[in-house]
Amino acid sequence: MKINLTLHPRARLNFSPLVWVLLSLMGIAFVVAMIRYAIGIGPITDLSNSYPWGFWISFDLFTGVAISSGGFIMAGSVYILGIKELRPLLRPSILTAFLGYIMVAVALLVDLGHPERIWYMMIHWNHTSVLLEIGICVMSYLTVLAIEFAPVVFEGLKWEKLAHLLHRFIMPFVIIGVMLSTLHQSSLGSLMLIEPTKLYPLWWTPILPILFFTSALAIGLAMIIFESSLSSRYFKRGLELHLLDKLAKAIPVVLVIYLVLKFGELAWAGELSYLFTGGGMSVLFWVEILISSIVPIAWFSFKKNRQNPTMLLAGAVIVLFGMILNRFDVSWFAVKHPDPLFYLPTFMSNVKYVPTLPEISVSLGIFSAGILVFGLAARYLPVFEDGHREPHASSGD
Amino acid sequence: MTNIKYHAYLFDATRCIDCRACMVACSVENNIAMNKTRIWVAGIGIKGEFPSLETASMVYHCMHCKEPDCLSACPVGAYHKRDDGPVIYNPDVCIGCRYCMNACPFGVPHFDYDKGIIEGAFIDKCTLCPQRIDVGLEPACVATCPTDALEYGDRDDLLKKAHERIAAHPDRYINHVYGEFENGGTSYLVLSHVPFSELGLPDLPEKPVKEISEKVMEMTIPFAVGWATVLTGVAAGVGLYQKNKEAKKETSVEKKAEAENEN
Repeated sequence: MKINLTLHPRARLNFSPLVWVLLSLMGIAFVVAMIRYAIGIGPITDLSNSYPWGFWISFDLFTGVAISSGGFIMAGSVYILGIKELRPLLRPSILTAFLGYIMVAVALLVDLGHPERIWYMMIHWNHTSVLLEIGICVMSYLTVLAIEFAPVVFEGLKWEKLAHLLHRFIMPFVIIGVMLSTLHQSSLGSLMLIEPTKLYPLWWTPILPILFFTSALAIGLAMIIFESSLSSRYFKRGLELHLLDKLAKAIPVVLVIYLVLKFGELAWAGELSYLFTGGGMSVLFWVEILISSIVPIAWFSFKKNRQNPTMLLAGAVIVLFGMILNRFDVSWFAVKHPDPLFYLPTFMSNVKYVPTLPEISVSLGIFSAGILVFGLAARYLPVFEDGHREPHASSGD
Repeated sequence: MTNIKYHAYLFDATRCIDCRACMVACSVENNIAMNKTRIWVAGIGIKGEFPSLETASMVYHCMHCKEPDCLSACPVGAYHKRDDGPVIYNPDVCIGCRYCMNACPFGVPHFDYDKGIIEGAFIDKCTLCPQRIDVGLEPACVATCPTDALEYGDRDDLLKKAHERIAAHPDRYINHVYGEFENGGTSYLVLSHVPFSELGLPDLPEKPVKEISEKVMEMTIPFAVGWATVLTGVAAGVGLYQKNKEAKKETSVEKKAEAENEN
């Protein structure tokens, strides 16, 4: 039997200068990572005993997982809620999520002190650790995403039977995928629950996991709009404006719930005074709330903004920017570490943390690889066309 | 060997002369590299105006909490708490995630930032010298302290001693033993003549900081099972509803066609 392994280009793709930029960023990241493995984290980053987590955790882990939430939102909407008309957005979202999680995993391999032991999370379980839950969920969800994306690869290879078979049994995986995503989108917030004395009270609340899950919904919706808009520009394909309009309508709803939860909890805990008395922290909080929630609620409430491709994209960028600021605040900007002069000598620690260029270059390189693989997948695989038609859903998709 | 039930330190800031002999003794006993240290002494400098001058210094160890937050946070269980006090770190399973450093409210665990993966970068912290206390010796820092600022013994005995000392010299001490209740109780107890915040000790509640994090973790499995059940139910319900709707549509189309035929 001869197995077909040829893939034919599908989308036109003409951006070779961008490809060269991405490739060089990847090269730089690779070299920096090798140096880090050889001589340690200290010499190339500004991380220290006072700042054990920095840019890598805030950007690669907190932001990376958050912007990958589109995958479970679309899978849940199409398969579980049965909104079949959203089908055209499903595959690109799953691809984004799949690549996003791979990027998170690769980045963690640079940040971990013992990357070769990452699999210890599968055999040594400390059941009180939030980080264990995140590790297990990310590993399992990566597997689920691979299964959810596999039909696209099989279709690309013209292995129609296998694609069809997998498609028939996709339901349990979708349910497990949504369950795992809910768990670890929220548990990224739980990660900071153990730092009530370090995280500023405007951000530390027992409902951090619920806030993280709610905001992940908004981020996911914005990310689907963002990624569809950009790919329609670069691959010169049509934009599903009527579908994106539906997602854009949902964003203000999610954000209003988010704001009610956030301010409700602050009021309930009697911490509203921090809104105005925290100096820089109060300002940071208001800037975050404004960009992440208040402006987007207003923006997407106007039909005019939802139906103009440029305004739609701009609105999505505002949400993403604000919510990424939220992730940075929770994991970095609003965290006060013990004074190193007391707890550790300055020769073992830092008074201040400013991410270094090599640190940022690693994240940039991994991100570039993600964009490049997305481009390649879009070119060679049926990502933007759904070859599969369910027998009873002949119309609508 | 030893009849101490729960090992602990007592540190008296009024007695510390900032000589740092404890640091040297610790590094020698535990073979710590010259550019590192497990314990650290910091002073607040000289305060006040002549002749009423005041100074204080503090020795920072691992607090050996009764309910350690580092242990709760570690994903792979690299920490363990001995029944008789010491919190011990096991480098053999550590994956180097540094979550324990974030979790510890005292900022105690520290990491080998200057080592690559071949040398192996690990967490390090005070161990309460199990190799010494298990054979009936004092920890190295205590044994070397020239002014008895650091003492070692059973936690209950030391607490009693501390309270007696405060009662004997109420003018000299702040009426509080730091570590008796802080963060669920620690095995490093501190007596001081200046406010504890000036010694760099955080103001902590009596419940350990891991409390809410652990409560949320306990809910994870029930939530996961419940949520998966709900999702399955919704998926089945929506699927059934959509099938019915389509079947109805088909029958109504058929009926229409039949009616037209009859006409």
